[in-house]
Amino acid sequence: MIPAAFEYHAPKTLEEALRLYERHGDEAKLLAGGQSLLPLMKLRLAAPRFVIDLGKLRGMNHIREENGKIAIGALTPHAEVEHSALLRAKCPLLVETAAEIGDVQVRNRGTLGGSLAHADPAADYPAAILALDAEILAASTSGTRTIAAREFFVDMLTTQLRPGEILTQVRVPILAPKTGTAYCKLHQPASGFAIVGVAACVTVNRSGKIEEVAIGVTGLGPKPYRAAAAEKALRGKKTNPKLLADAARTAAQGVEPLSDLHASAAYRREMAAVFTRRALERAVARALGKKA
Amino acid sequence: MATATRYIGKPLKRKEDPRLIQGLGHYVDDLRLPEMHYAAFVRSPYAHAKVRSVDVSKARTAPGVVLALTGADVKGAIGFVPCAAQIPDMKSAPRPVLAVDRVRFVGEAVAVIVATDRYAARDAVDLVEVDYEPLTPVVDPERAMAKGAPVLHEPYKDNVAYRWELEGGDLKKAFKQADKVIRQRIINQRLIPMAMEPRGVMADYKPGEKQLTVWSSTQIPHLLKTQISVMLRVPEHSVRVITPEVGGAFGSKLNVYPEEALCGYLAMQLGKPVKWIESRRENFQTTIHGRDQIDDLEIAVKRDGTVLGLRCKVIADLGAYYQLLTPLIPTLTGLMMCGCYKIPAARMEITGVLTNKMATDAYRGAGRPEATYFVERAMDLVAAELKMDPVEVRRKNFPQPEEFPYATPTGLIYDSANYQRSLDLVLKNSGYTKLRKEQAQLRKKGKLMGIGLSTYVEICAMGPSSAMPAGGWESATVRVEPTGNVTVLTGSSPHGQGQETTFAQIAADMLGLEPDEVQVVHGDTAAVSYGIGTFGSRATAVGGTAVYKCLEKLRSKLGQIAGHILGEDPGKLVFRDKKILSKSSKKSLNFVEAVGAAYVAKTLPPGMEPGLEAVTFFEPTNFTFPFGAHVCVVEVDSETGDVKVVKYVAVDDCGNVINPMLVDGQIHGGIVQALGQALLEEAVYDENGQLITGELMDYAIPRAADIPWMELSRTVTPSPVNPMGVKGVGEAGTIGATPALINAVVDALSPLGVRHVDMPVKRERIWQLLHKPSGRAPAKAAPKKRRAR
Amino acid sequence: MKVEGSYVLEASRAEVWALLTDPNRLARLLPGCERLDPDGPDRFKAVIKFALAAISGKYDGSLTFLEKKPPKLLRLRLEGKGIPGFVKGEGKLELGEKGAQTELRYSGEAQIGGMIAAVGQRMVDAAARRVITQFFESAAAELKATSAKK
Repeated sequence: MIPAAFEYHAPKTLEEALRLYERHGDEAKLLAGGQSLLPLMKLRLAAPRFVIDLGKLRGMNHIREENGKIAIGALTPHAEVEHSALLRAKCPLLVETAAEIGDVQVRNRGTLGGSLAHADPAADYPAAILALDAEILAASTSGTRTIAAREFFVDMLTTQLRPGEILTQVRVPILAPKTGTAYCKLHQPASGFAIVGVAACVTVNRSGKIEEVAIGVTGLGPKPYRAAAAEKALRGKKTNPKLLADAARTAAQGVEPLSDLHASAAYRREMAAVFTRRALERAVARALGKKA
Repeated sequence: MATATRYIGKPLKRKEDPRLIQGLGHYVDDLRLPEMHYAAFVRSPYAHAKVRSVDVSKARTAPGVVLALTGADVKGAIGFVPCAAQIPDMKSAPRPVLAVDRVRFVGEAVAVIVATDRYAARDAVDLVEVDYEPLTPVVDPERAMAKGAPVLHEPYKDNVAYRWELEGGDLKKAFKQADKVIRQRIINQRLIPMAMEPRGVMADYKPGEKQLTVWSSTQIPHLLKTQISVMLRVPEHSVRVITPEVGGAFGSKLNVYPEEALCGYLAMQLGKPVKWIESRRENFQTTIHGRDQIDDLEIAVKRDGTVLGLRCKVIADLGAYYQLLTPLIPTLTGLMMCGCYKIPAARMEITGVLTNKMATDAYRGAGRPEATYFVERAMDLVAAELKMDPVEVRRKNFPQPEEFPYATPTGLIYDSANYQRSLDLVLKNSGYTKLRKEQAQLRKKGKLMGIGLSTYVEICAMGPSSAMPAGGWESATVRVEPTGNVTVLTGSSPHGQGQETTFAQIAADMLGLEPDEVQVVHGDTAAVSYGIGTFGSRATAVGGTAVYKCLEKLRSKLGQIAGHILGEDPGKLVFRDKKILSKSSKKSLNFVEAVGAAYVAKTLPPGMEPGLEAVTFFEPTNFTFPFGAHVCVVEVDSETGDVKVVKYVAVDDCGNVINPMLVDGQIHGGIVQALGQALLEEAVYDENGQLITGELMDYAIPRAADIPWMELSRTVTPSPVNPMGVKGVGEAGTIGATPALINAVVDALSPLGVRHVDMPVKRERIWQLLHKPSGRAPAKAAPKKRRAR
Repeated sequence: MKVEGSYVLEASRAEVWALLTDPNRLARLLPGCERLDPDGPDRFKAVIKFALAAISGKYDGSLTFLEKKPPKLLRLRLEGKGIPGFVKGEGKLELGEKGAQTELRYSGEAQIGGMIAAVGQRMVDAAARRVITQFFESAAAELKATSAKK
């Protein structure tokens, strides 16, 4: 478990990091919490010539309310998301999702930005990020742009981030009134990754009608996605157990599930339905002010 | 024991723990020597291939590299990896320390690099060019036995390593008289032992003194010393093996590995110290695996639940080569096949098969868990077939307490037991009757709850030398130092069992001292008399008895000295509170004074030798047979197939107990490891012989959050085999718990007609049973096709 | 690992056949293929650099056409060895006429050994799909470019 030689850089400012990243191009890898990159390097599946450690950058580890949204710095560890009082009050979905990632050690080291940029097909955050319609900020030497969560994930381990861009911040909306959220996950027993992870965000009005719903699914296919068919089946309808269950059954529509040692495609497909239903039930109950 | 028990039987905290918890212990990788060099291995990515050439020329000239050797380079200089087990007519499967012209499993080393640092060594591995000619791998043991299968070890014509049979009682009669014969194929999957500390070796050679020292993370320093001397052809007195802290082993370090001899050889070649620390990936691929049996059972049973006979055909997947005990392990399954039941006739047929995988060998329980698992499944199969309560089937077949020592048809003599008592207690502690009522209620609501029972017996204290491949005795030396401190030297070098504490408890009580005044030394062949090691739950019953016998000798000598000085009858003296005192006259001598007398040697009884040291090589007359009863309750999520263990109640009987906290720890750990096998773990080789569960991202082991609360209690049935009446407990939890867990899962699924589920019961497997109509496992269905394992 | 599926290309069978059997053009379709040099009849030496995000590896190997039935069937074998281990795949491509289009049906079996096999279990399926998709997307682009030139 010994990595190949690499040149290590630990820039102190974002500008310096961006310049380095631009200069070294695809021979460089960014190191945030190191929970994916370092194992790959130790196994020598990855052998970047340059490692740019973002750990010394200031101002990229924060959780704060800004212009009606919550802004989270890319270098914020999962554990800080998990224990943030601000997020617990205003975006509990992220808190619930962060608490499901890996184990305590992974949560202490791994970062929100690192996880999103790595885009592991079984990572937890992407489901929540999609369900929240979050915005992802990417900086380059030519400025900063905002990428919508729905556009962000391209394929397994591939995002919209361009060469030379560094993910700096994620912005999530503040939980709207009468809205409930939930993240339900089936753990892969060895790695703790999601075999299926479903994040649901549901707004229910006084008469029980679903006004808005967003469902993000991870683990099922090569990239996370929004369960559009299920959302459509729910939007504008009065909530009831059968409605939720029927909608959940379409969660895997249009997706060819992955298959591996831990779960066949058929099982993953079925679990997508089960965990979508569970997430919806929990989110609806929370929207209605019930304990769930 | 005729001794005051101030410390024996008390839950003393481990003397080892403060240093281990504070990171002050020294494992092999913590040791540094000047001019240290590091070894790295080039390993085969093929399961089966001819090695046409190995070109190390580029690696040899790489920066920092001082040596790069191939199998051909060391062929004449280092002997084969040793196997101590001999079975009549067994094929030989010699393993060179580096493959020469053929590789037979993924991870087999073909070359070794030595460099001045670990990074240089690892970099150079990638510079070695090996030309492999892939051969068809033999992965599935049944296909390996078939005609026309590629042969691993030519010139043999097939891959059957051996056939071994054992029969006792009148089997024909048993099956003739049976009302029913129940058949079931039961698979005991391949497992990775997964010690927290991987293997590690450091070797240093002093050419002037002609002294080779090898530090290794091993369970058997003395046997390793002998084997290194044989493999390297150097005199045994020139080899010293030191075992520093060992971070667990579970049997996987009860072995002699190529790297241990090779590091010694490399150090001798270079005249510099060489270290190799196994990576986790190497640990998966090249440290022995456990279990891997296919067991075809036939149970002859009367309508009232009496089991008349048991027949089992075992296909044991041995892997590509034999490690130290590989061929022997399945035979232990044969010996224990009747479990704790009075089965009058039994027959075992074992076929050991060679396949392109890592060798299997001793893994916590080593052959016995396989037996306990199938015989406990058998009891539940009988109960299901006859619609009886599993408790009643077991009661019906237990031998009575007065029948001990009890002789089994497989030739063992169970020393002592009261199976009824442990069963009664576990039923009471678990609220078994109430649980069954709850289950009936839940079933009405469509909930899947299962109650599993296991009543086990196992074989410990290995063992009499007559039944062991390389000695079953153990040595101890106990020395009382001139200042009165006690040094205990044991051949049972521990790797987490806590002998430093338990042996100190024994010595403290025997000599009337405090445990802190006793130091236990182990794991250095230059300091400790030749010993066998720690495995087979033998350390206390065999190693501890050797210590006990030394202490008896010392007490006798000290008693004579004190009696001489005090003018008292030595036979009437007791050792208490650092004094040797006469109960009748109340006269006493300080312990230290008696010790001083032994060394100053002016007031000794006439003719007595000075000094205070005793040596014992203890040979036990029999194994010991601990037993117990476990109850497990599971809930199955009918949507996902997820199994949750909601209650675990265990009653174990390991004879007299030296330290109840350590016994509980062993039971806890054992149950957890059993849970791993039952629910999570499986070493999977794909059809090409690639180990695709090659790291902890894919090989699931139980974690703290997976573990239920365990309610433990004990019955105490002392063993008559040794003076302390102890039996052994290192493997009991693993042996007893696996069947309890699976019996619970099957019980939960029984309303759906499920009779058996193979391990590990992964969620998807249960989900298939629940959601596919064809998932029902009918009674006499053909064994389902298994994935190449 | 088994793979199978189909892909429809906007070109005639003859055009697709020509594309698949021309090593220079085929080299452009194989993801990461750096070189494809003739090495005997229907056999080529290949250098493939596989890269997927942080994961990368270089494989030296060969491509062999095992059977050619123009313009209907092509059976081929791809072998590669590198630091991360080895890959070996055998498969067939069947070209079916679908009007002016060609339907390519592929089926094959791949063996993966070494590091990727040991630790890449959960990624292999998705990665294989991606490589296949990239291959066909490149083929479609190549055919489009060729027809545009005409």
